[in-house]
Amino acid sequence: MAETDGTTGLSGVKLLDLVDERAIYGSKLLADLDANVVRVEPPGGELLRGRGPFKGDVPGPTNSLWHAFFASNRHSMTVDGTTDAGRRQLHRLLMWADVVIDSGALAEAGIDLEEELARRPELVGVRVTSFGPEGPWKSYLAPDLVASALGGLAATTGDVDTPPLKGFGEIAFYISGSYTAIAALSALHHARATGEGQLVDVNVHECIASCLEHVLMWYWYHDSLPLADGPVLPRRGALHWSDGYDVIAAKGGSIMVTPTPNPNAQIAWLAEEGAHQDLLEVDLSDPTALIGLLKQITDVMRPWVAEKDVEQFFFEAQRRHMPYGWVLPLDKVVDNPQLAAREWWQPYDIDGESVQGPGAPYHFSAIPQEIATYTKPGAATESILAEIGWEDDA
Amino acid sequence: MTSPTSPANGALSGFRILDFTHVLAGPFATRILGDLGADVVKVTSAARPGNTPSHPYYAMWNRNKRNLALDLSRDDGRALCRRLAEKADIVIDNFSVGVLDRWGLGYGSVSQANPGVIYVQMSGMGDGGPWSEFVTYAPTVHALSGLTYLTGVPGHTDIGLGFSYNDHLSGLHGAVAVLAAVEARRATGEGQRIDFAQFEVGVNFAGPSLLDLFANGRAAQPTGNRLPYDDAAPHNCYPCQPTGPGVVNERWIAIACMDNDQWHALRQLMGNPAWAMDERYSSAIGRTANVAALDEHVAEWTRPMAAEQVMALCQANGVPAGVVQSGADLAEADPQIARDNFLAPVDDPDPASPVMVYRDRLPLYFSKTPANAYLRPHAVGEDNVDVLGDWLAMGADEVRQGEQDGLLA
Repeated sequence: MAETDGTTGLSGVKLLDLVDERAIYGSKLLADLDANVVRVEPPGGELLRGRGPFKGDVPGPTNSLWHAFFASNRHSMTVDGTTDAGRRQLHRLLMWADVVIDSGALAEAGIDLEEELARRPELVGVRVTSFGPEGPWKSYLAPDLVASALGGLAATTGDVDTPPLKGFGEIAFYISGSYTAIAALSALHHARATGEGQLVDVNVHECIASCLEHVLMWYWYHDSLPLADGPVLPRRGALHWSDGYDVIAAKGGSIMVTPTPNPNAQIAWLAEEGAHQDLLEVDLSDPTALIGLLKQITDVMRPWVAEKDVEQFFFEAQRRHMPYGWVLPLDKVVDNPQLAAREWWQPYDIDGESVQGPGAPYHFSAIPQEIATYTKPGAATESILAEIGWEDDA
Repeated sequence: MTSPTSPANGALSGFRILDFTHVLAGPFATRILGDLGADVVKVTSAARPGNTPSHPYYAMWNRNKRNLALDLSRDDGRALCRRLAEKADIVIDNFSVGVLDRWGLGYGSVSQANPGVIYVQMSGMGDGGPWSEFVTYAPTVHALSGLTYLTGVPGHTDIGLGFSYNDHLSGLHGAVAVLAAVEARRATGEGQRIDFAQFEVGVNFAGPSLLDLFANGRAAQPTGNRLPYDDAAPHNCYPCQPTGPGVVNERWIAIACMDNDQWHALRQLMGNPAWAMDERYSSAIGRTANVAALDEHVAEWTRPMAAEQVMALCQANGVPAGVVQSGADLAEADPQIARDNFLAPVDDPDPASPVMVYRDRLPLYFSKTPANAYLRPHAVGEDNVDVLGDWLAMGADEVRQGEQDGLLA
């Protein structure tokens, strides 16, 4: 656990963590802010410890780097939910916790979350399901790819010569995980203020569908959008819905370019280099015409960009306050001087071995986030049993 | 105080949020907080570009907020804003670093008078560092963070996501940051400042791959729809019967066999064809090693069928599968979305407007503090009287005077 003085961050929050990959990012967010998180695993460790990549490319109880990223800073406790003793331990943990987040483990152990909430009204229960607890799809299986497809994330990603694509990694479940953290903290706030806990259902499908930027806008308002050609935007590579952003191959790599937010500056740059003086004549004051002009400008930028050295071009654009983005592979990302200057990378203590890893997504002035600690399955079982006053009196 | 524009029993009822955010990332954060019942006051100005409440893009992210028009280019505008900040629980902005400080509204100054105040400053690159002045939109962050490079197919690394994912993720993290700081304040009574770099939210997407790079020296490469590290196949989107010509009429089904049982079920659905009984496909490792041929065989099976038919068949037999849904599918064909009334018009359409405003509801269902009120985005200055009356006890006449002289416009 990160060092705390007992009064900072979420150190006063007792969280029982029973979620799978659909919401594990949410419990990570809370654990990394110092919440006191007990993550329950079955004997031998949870299946998610089998997710690659692995340290040294060798699977093992503490070698999953996937699991280390998502499940650090937890108290790992072994509970066998198939036994009476395990079920009683879960009941005891439910008496201990301020918040429980669950994506089905309680039901597997024969425990009804709603009954537990009725028994202990101040408890906050966050229940994560793929499609909600009811409805025709409630039992549908939706790992990341399927969730991305049904949720609308994949339809606009990919190109005309590729299938629709999900984002790399678990990005759909970063969304549902983040919403899970919001559900837990907002319901906890209400419980702190009133003594009233409650059940919050997190619907993963709808979480994803709520984060599609233009997709639903296009459907609802296509009649009033100058660019829309029907309610569905086609899959078309990196070209953004507004026609004002695209990824273009330059010399030495690709770059995301856009004439926004200041098309005049972009036109001036083109003209400065002798390219497309004709654009100087366009009228940018008419907002209706502007959208069409963005497409025109982006079109003329493509051959211009293709002749540029990507690195120099990126820095020159940013010097001109233009939001271009150099398309970087991860081995370039880790050398980023901004991340280095902000001391963003943090060590992960993976069962005693230090590995450099990603830092926090935000910096709190009064909550320390210094190190991620990752342990063997069940490493905290004894201490948690002691904390919850467990005596096996079966 | 109970916010007039939010459910009276929302989980965040009584919270005052002074909102300087614009475009998507910040407004998405405050949209969530407004849905949860906080009194979100969006500070805007008719003179400031980028605030066009009539535009659909604005309408998408600015429901459940009150709108205060305030000319912050004036000394008296900034002074009035300072009084509001001293009453706020949360001040949130996504300006470039330092803007609020230059206006005398920075955390260091305001917290002297309001020690419980929480500042969330959602800049692109964060406060400090050689790139802190860089200009970023979500596609910029996607490119710089590796997400564009990795979201593609091998040899085709200029695709990336087709929408501004990182703006949403930043908004979600902004809401988490607010709520975490609120909980921390409960214990200490002190607010704090959160320095929030949207770029750092973006880089975080690749967490396991970054650990892989540091631990094993291996930089991840794009893998299309395949899992980058684990053996699972079939695991792709497959073509189905199109509904017409062109890309928008293509229909696709995502199928993800995560274990051998699911593969066996799919194999049976396909009629146990001879190719599928080949030893090469008997294990996940074998299927992954021969994925190109496997994908082509599966596509032959899906191609003549409707995507919805494939999904129903697969799901009924324990095979994870889902239609690649467009916005139209979500709105018109998705029974779960329809069941929850997840997509609907706002509760209080403007009778004077010819354009109906729609909303996607908060995907969180609270049993005691339901987030069930969705009110239309307000016009610039629409709530001047109510906000300044509620927060500063200003009289309506004084507010109207301010509107007339341009201070509140």
